[in-house]
Amino acid sequence: MSGLRADLKLLRHGRDWRGRARVPRSAQRWEQPETGEDFPTAWARTAPAGAIRHLLQQAVLKPVVWSQTRPVVHGREYLEGIRGPAIFVANHSSHLDTPLVLGALPPRITKKLAVGAAADYFFDSRSIAAATTLLFNAFPVERRASRRGRSLAAELVDDGWSLLLYPEGSRTVDGWLTAFKLGAAQLCAMKQVPAVPIALRGTFAAMPRGQRWPRPGRPRVTVRIGRSLYVGADETVPEFRARLTRSVATLWAEDDLGWYRALRAAADDALALPTGSRSVLPTTSSGEPAHSHDVAPWRRIWEATRPPTDDAPRRVWTDD
Amino acid sequence: MGRPGFVLDVDERTPPLLMHEGEGFRLERLPLGSQVIYPPESLPGIVDLEHAIRHALLHPHGSDPLPQLLHRGMRLTVVFDDLSLPLPPMRTPDVRQRVIEQVLEMAATAGVDDVELIAANSLHRRMTPAELKRTVGERVFRAFYPDHLRNHDAEDPDGLLHLGTTQHGEDVEINRRAAESDLIVYVNITLTAMSGGSKSVAVGLASYASLRHHHNVHTLRHSRSFNDPRNSAMHHSYDRMADVIGGHVPVFTIETTLNNQPFPAALRFLTRREWEWNLTDQASYLALKRSNDLATPKLRRRIWQATEAPYGVTGVHAGAPSQVHPHTLAAVHRQQLTEVHGQADVAIFGLPYICPYNVNSIMNPILVMSLGLGYFFNLYRSKPIVRQGGVAIFYHPMPHEFHPVHHPSYIDFYELLTETTDPVMLETKYEKQFATDPWYTHLYRTSYAYHGVHPFYMWYWGAHAMQHLDDVIFIGGDRSTTARLGFRAASSLDDALELARDTVGRNPQISYLHAPPLVLADVR
Repeated sequence: MSGLRADLKLLRHGRDWRGRARVPRSAQRWEQPETGEDFPTAWARTAPAGAIRHLLQQAVLKPVVWSQTRPVVHGREYLEGIRGPAIFVANHSSHLDTPLVLGALPPRITKKLAVGAAADYFFDSRSIAAATTLLFNAFPVERRASRRGRSLAAELVDDGWSLLLYPEGSRTVDGWLTAFKLGAAQLCAMKQVPAVPIALRGTFAAMPRGQRWPRPGRPRVTVRIGRSLYVGADETVPEFRARLTRSVATLWAEDDLGWYRALRAAADDALALPTGSRSVLPTTSSGEPAHSHDVAPWRRIWEATRPPTDDAPRRVWTDD
Repeated sequence: MGRPGFVLDVDERTPPLLMHEGEGFRLERLPLGSQVIYPPESLPGIVDLEHAIRHALLHPHGSDPLPQLLHRGMRLTVVFDDLSLPLPPMRTPDVRQRVIEQVLEMAATAGVDDVELIAANSLHRRMTPAELKRTVGERVFRAFYPDHLRNHDAEDPDGLLHLGTTQHGEDVEINRRAAESDLIVYVNITLTAMSGGSKSVAVGLASYASLRHHHNVHTLRHSRSFNDPRNSAMHHSYDRMADVIGGHVPVFTIETTLNNQPFPAALRFLTRREWEWNLTDQASYLALKRSNDLATPKLRRRIWQATEAPYGVTGVHAGAPSQVHPHTLAAVHRQQLTEVHGQADVAIFGLPYICPYNVNSIMNPILVMSLGLGYFFNLYRSKPIVRQGGVAIFYHPMPHEFHPVHHPSYIDFYELLTETTDPVMLETKYEKQFATDPWYTHLYRTSYAYHGVHPFYMWYWGAHAMQHLDDVIFIGGDRSTTARLGFRAASSLDDALELARDTVGRNPQISYLHAPPLVLADVR
């Protein structure tokens, strides 16, 4: 038994929970080209798979996440008007994000919701791909130029599925907000479906990259759902993307500023919004001006992991 | 198309790397900054091999097409490489069978009646009927065995013919039937760059009197390496002998090359780069490692020896040996060559369970030495991967085990090592005695024993490495066996590097030759 344990330990060394090792630097130029084959996911959208998934999500996933963290969900009421497919757009900094969003949304939506998952991360190994597909109704999303087939997203929307997408493309490394890619906005414009902004706070502090389980102490996490956004008649895709980003950033700022001050900050362009490759913190928990300038990596993580000081509702009107 | 070979610099991202260690394997964490020489990935095999063979026979290099060389009333001898190639034995049908069948189809069409098939086993043990059948196929075996399908007998006084001497005074004595034929058709598998070409007939069908001119300490110390024929004194000698043979009997050779698929699908992780192992590879590794470690030695050996390689054939070239061989070498290099910059202070090799001389047998300590210091050390072009005065570290348990039927003279040779391990001393004092010992000769001719002189050749095989290296360490090696051979044993890589410190200092540059699959380091 000790031999098995030793072998397993050695085998696991340097590999993540999916068993993947990082490519050594000197081997990066010889990385394996993609095969061009997509993992089939249609089976996960059948009724039996949906029933199993609903059971797993409601009976296992949500109780586990809700027992390990202290989620606070705001804005469910904005979902009442959603009929038919919508694109749920959230910031992304942790593997907790998807279970939290799925737990926060009402079952009538999650039963018809597919989650975009990084093809190069979740769909490289067949076993991981199968598990991800079943549990989250995931479908592969290419994060960079690829030889694989076209994304399934448009097809799914045509079939009446809502999608949960993370337009940042990857979990942020410092918990800050990074620029949104165009895909989600383009999909909304192309299919004329609403985008529902969602801001997730506290998940980076609870379970950042590299962690496999939330830190002890049931950290508080917040899911803020915003009002649906529609692409305007004269609005271009980049303009809509900017509106989407601002709306997620506003929801984000609500934790620090409260609802009305966050709206005011957004209206006054006082929120830091990500552009290019630079990540930003839309606002700080202390209410100080947002950090959009370059700061040391430790300060980014320091700010992103600052524990919330007060759960009480904030005053709408302040003295200043 | 497979990716080319490359040299990995071990960094903090590098997962533990796979090492072969005899009938087992393990993962090992190499020190940061170590270099790992990876072979090119396996090339695709020829899809329509039947057509490729036929095309090669009809469009040979430097020769008329084979059908034009065949005629009624001629004496045709078909010679083929013995079971020392390829390693592991390839999944049937063996490529030799497929080539021989087409050659015989053409011979039958031409009305050739006098056909003999001879396994070019030189001083190796005879192949058993089952091994012969596996190599040439059921149809050929039934038609020719036992009268016209046989092993070469290098000690048959009536079965050898002295063809003369080279300009260097080397005796050329080969199989009489082949020498007196109207045509020799040689069917070869070139697994490494040392095989094929002039070696085929000049070694495969030779006698001790002929072999001693190149299988000796002096020649091997000047064969740098014997996998680089241009710089190998041994191959220069083969070439001179081949010229003499070519003056007496025409040789039509068919050389085949294989890709880098030595392991079946269940062992796929052995050929994949470790950071690309998926969960299946990791589960296979863990399951096979545990079962392998828990299996009894007998069962373990049986399972490993039953492994069949799903080799694909990458090239078939036929014609005059000197014209064919450059094409063959190019194909081998395409599959095995990896460019390496600079020599290391310490070279690490993981030795697998098989070498050319223990197919269906036991790899005794002398063979372990020959595999490590002979074959693996010499997997280079230009310069060894380790500098002069460096250290070689091998992974192998080196158990004190001998196959009494296959390797009787090895058992006695092992005893000689208590007196000296110096190849020159052994050669001078004992080689002739072993080579001419009537009991060993009897066993070679009538049983399935390697020739009496064979363990000496294995020892000479490592003579260049012994001269080049200052220290040789076997990780996991049986201490008394390793000491008998003049080497040192260590229980772990850390211990081995600690032992090596006296020779190469505290921070040596380390290179690990990640083989098998085979890789030929082109050291610049």
